[in-house]
Amino acid sequence: MGFFVRFWGVRGSIPTPGPRTRRYGGNTSCYELRSDTTVLIFDAGTGLRELGISLLRNPPRAGLELHLFLSHPHWDHIQGFPFFGPAYLPTTTIHVYGSEKNENYQLLSGQMSNAYFPVAFKDLSARIVPRAFKNDVVQAGDFVVRRFDQKHPGGSAGFRVEHEGRAVVYATDSELDQLLTDPEGPSRNPRTLRRLPAAVVAPMKNADLLIADAQYTDEEYPKRIGWGHARSNTVVDLAIQAGVRQLALTHHDPMHSDRDVDAMVLTASERARSIGAELEVFGAREGVTLRVDRE
Amino acid sequence: MSTRTPTIDEDDVPQTMMNRLPAGFKPRPRRAHQLEQTAGPGSPSRHELSADMLVIGRGSAADLRIESDDVSRTHAQLQRVDDEYTIEDLDSRNGVFLNGLRVHAAVLRDGDQLQLGDVVFTYTEGT
Repeated sequence: MGFFVRFWGVRGSIPTPGPRTRRYGGNTSCYELRSDTTVLIFDAGTGLRELGISLLRNPPRAGLELHLFLSHPHWDHIQGFPFFGPAYLPTTTIHVYGSEKNENYQLLSGQMSNAYFPVAFKDLSARIVPRAFKNDVVQAGDFVVRRFDQKHPGGSAGFRVEHEGRAVVYATDSELDQLLTDPEGPSRNPRTLRRLPAAVVAPMKNADLLIADAQYTDEEYPKRIGWGHARSNTVVDLAIQAGVRQLALTHHDPMHSDRDVDAMVLTASERARSIGAELEVFGAREGVTLRVDRE
Repeated sequence: MSTRTPTIDEDDVPQTMMNRLPAGFKPRPRRAHQLEQTAGPGSPSRHELSADMLVIGRGSAADLRIESDDVSRTHAQLQRVDDEYTIEDLDSRNGVFLNGLRVHAAVLRDGDQLQLGDVVFTYTEGT
């Protein structure tokens, strides 16, 4: 049974179409994790529109059954939902997972109140079912998904997704630099490994792939403290401490061009090598599918 | 109050650019997407992509045939959707690498480097 990850939207904060971002892509957060029988969607940023188009090219006769996980309801994580084609089909079922109060579900529907969008949430034809985690774990099709809290204004959730002995962690909108055991360490010596508490490292432990918010360079971060996003070098150090195999840098800053992202990937990769870690680092890119169960 | 139906004299309709092409406008000529093979048996060579689907491989059934033991018989498939090509690994032995990263599939962009075994291609987007 395959375990595939496809990147549909990898940009942070706001869509950024145009020639500067053409290669990595300008759509906001949306990731598809699928097995041969189950489709999980992580975040409903503008990348969700294209995922919807793709799903409708060959829909199963019985209709689509989709599992949607929202890290949090900031715009760049929900804005694609009103344009998600399968939501308009009566044959589609969408399970929306949130906290036990399921505030994310309410906020997802709230963006379709008529001041903001011409179609009301209640008029969508699909069966949209709010689901809650129990003790931070849920079974979705043939995947087990565990949620964990992250440091972000208003809060955000990360997810560890397990399937047949493989694990992918989706951890965006997380300001790891506010959680360092030695917060002044990076300013004293940026090259020293940035240690994070065991509780922060644990959800990523031995993941085959970590998809992580790495929006800022070390140079940019001091002017963006408290904005809720991580330094790419700190993310590399988290991946090393957790024994991760592959790291996808994502939530690319809207000001970063493709060349800027290339430079961040190179810096991050050199950092992993200089620490002696066997970690493959790359930049998440729209339209790329990885097969996690192969190696 | 007048009940006369108002009429519009065509001479009174302002001429806008909405119903006229700008002077000098002409559609741009189309240029095909291309794969340029830069390493491996058969290189250097250039392949214009025009089919909606083609298979790259060592076998006789492949559309783009590569005589290399590192390349599987049906190694990868290129498929055109909305005028963009996507490469997909057909369960090959040595995999498909996009700019050094092993991928299952990827929408290709200008300048991408693809490696299939000892064979390297550079993709050029057409217009």
